[in-house]
Amino acid sequence: MARTRNSIAVRLALMFAVAAFAGFALIGLVLHQVLGHELQRHQREEIGGQFEGLQYMLVHSRSPQLAAHVRERLDSLASSRDTHFWLWSDDPAFRYGDAPAGVADATRGAAGIVSLRTGSGAQQQTLHVLGRVLPANEVRPAVQLMVGIDARPFNRTLRAFETALLLVTVAGTLLVAALGYWIARLGLRPVARLSADAHRIGPDNRGQRLDLPRLPRELADLGASLNAAFDRLDAAYRQLETFNADVAHELRTPLGTLIGQTQVALARERDAGQLRNVLQSNLEELERLRAIVADMLFLARAEQGERARMLVASSIAEEVGKTVEFLDVLLDDAGMTVRVSGDVVAPIETSLFRRALSNLLHNAIQHSRPGTAIEVQIAQQQGTAVVAFSNASEPIAPAQLERLFDRFYRVDAARANSHESHGLGLAIVKAVAAMHGGTVFARSEGGVTTVGFGVALDSAPAQNKK
Amino acid sequence: MRVLIVEDERKTADYLRQGLTEQGCTVDVAYDGIDGQHLALHYDFDVVVLDVMLPGLDGFQVLHALRAVKNTPVIMLTARDGVDDRVKGLREGADDYLVKPFSFIELLARLQALSRRGRAQEPTLLRVGGLQVDLISRRATREGQRIDLTAKEFALLAVLARRPGEILSKTSIAELVWDMNFDSNTNVVEVAIKRLRAKIDVPFERSLLHTIRGMGYVLEDRDDQGRG
Repeated sequence: MARTRNSIAVRLALMFAVAAFAGFALIGLVLHQVLGHELQRHQREEIGGQFEGLQYMLVHSRSPQLAAHVRERLDSLASSRDTHFWLWSDDPAFRYGDAPAGVADATRGAAGIVSLRTGSGAQQQTLHVLGRVLPANEVRPAVQLMVGIDARPFNRTLRAFETALLLVTVAGTLLVAALGYWIARLGLRPVARLSADAHRIGPDNRGQRLDLPRLPRELADLGASLNAAFDRLDAAYRQLETFNADVAHELRTPLGTLIGQTQVALARERDAGQLRNVLQSNLEELERLRAIVADMLFLARAEQGERARMLVASSIAEEVGKTVEFLDVLLDDAGMTVRVSGDVVAPIETSLFRRALSNLLHNAIQHSRPGTAIEVQIAQQQGTAVVAFSNASEPIAPAQLERLFDRFYRVDAARANSHESHGLGLAIVKAVAAMHGGTVFARSEGGVTTVGFGVALDSAPAQNKK
Repeated sequence: MRVLIVEDERKTADYLRQGLTEQGCTVDVAYDGIDGQHLALHYDFDVVVLDVMLPGLDGFQVLHALRAVKNTPVIMLTARDGVDDRVKGLREGADDYLVKPFSFIELLARLQALSRRGRAQEPTLLRVGGLQVDLISRRATREGQRIDLTAKEFALLAVLARRPGEILSKTSIAELVWDMNFDSNTNVVEVAIKRLRAKIDVPFERSLLHTIRGMGYVLEDRDDQGRG
């Protein structure tokens, strides 16, 4: 994998190498600058010092044998190989050395040190020359004094230094790259472990998780989020599994009845009245199947992210009122009353919203004691309109509350085969809430169960999804 | 009423043909989009029942071709309960739609609603057997006796009396009376019918409000008063 794809180790090694190269190169450049500058200064001081001494002698000496003294002095100085001295004057006695062509001309007007290339081919050399014309005085004519130094030895030193720097830089870079690769491989070992860990997790052992304590700090976060993702997937997977089982169970019961009673009916000769009875009973079961399928399709649509359309700003209290009117006969039969408090105007798709309200109210009627009152509270909470149905009932355990909105979940399993509800009522409430950008909630405190949902007041996302 | 059914599922098409024929309709059936389009374009039907998923041409194509020529009312049958199908169908000019699986009663109700459309103004005094429903004064009497009804009971009675002999499903009743257009899993309609029956039928000899098990309710004066 490291070869076919971008390898982190290789990338890190390359980055180390680039950093090392940049560092070495920078240090090298600085050292080179310093050395070059120092060598230059050294040369200047060399010729400057010699020049000063000679000039002093030529200007201040009043000795009649000045020419001889000067020559003697120059002879002794010229024994040092790299420095050259020339003296030029109209008087041959004050001439010394054989200045290369152009040196005299170049230095005549110049104020400081002049760099010159002289000679050609192998003889070519760079000279740094300081020259000045000293006016005549009583013991000598006007002379032009020139002191030069051959730059070649200094340049050679500089070249050798440069070569060394280049070699050190290249070798150092390579070394750092190799070390970096090794360090990266070493440092990435926990990733390999993580990968091996993750490999072990599959549908057959979904409970397995990444070993977080063994992970270094940088990977612990990643590991934790992966574990959380696995948890969510696991939950969804489990829900799907139980969901399939639930659907099969829900459909199996009416199907069994249908098949059984049809077989019984056909096993003997029956008169038309008996056969009609069977068909009618079949029809009831079939209607029930149809209702389950229709609700499942509805839930599937909501789960696929379908949002409510045709949103109309409506008073929720009014909608609750209509729902109460719809279920009025059931409330009346149970001797129950409904008290509504608060109101919010929210953008809703009326038929969906009424369906949710009807399911919630029906749920409250079914699960409270006859003769009690149902409280409906409508309020605005952080950008959502919330409607909550509270009724006196048996306490519901927190674990059950969580599952209240699951498909086919029933708190009291005894009701499981009740003809009226097929256990999708609250799941539909949840779907309707989701279609309106809201959520559901359920509480059970002090013998009062509160179940409700919210819808987003800001309908923009729903409208955008045209 | 002359009805064209375009449906490729034989069993569905056959029971629709039988059911509608028995309701007094003249029924033609096409099993694919091409035949369906041909029939719909060349003959005059009162209503076309059009499946969306069809071999040959799909329902939308047939509808499109039909709408280019005439305004025969069309009820679309969609298998997917997707809003897009619905919206598309209605935008293309369908008059109504039903989501499969649908109940036959529901289809019948939609067909009757479509054929009722554009009919002359409804009478304001409805009579079924000895029952009189005055829609203006909102009063009901039977055999001359005034019957006390709540507002919703009257609305329920009016819905049934407007469609005498027509079976109304619980879903239709919930929609027409309470404006609740969804499949309610409650027994509200049953209870409300029971209460209405206690007032309009129980005190009298003949029953007018009948339960058709598994289908719905019908208000009619039946000759045979055997239990059905």
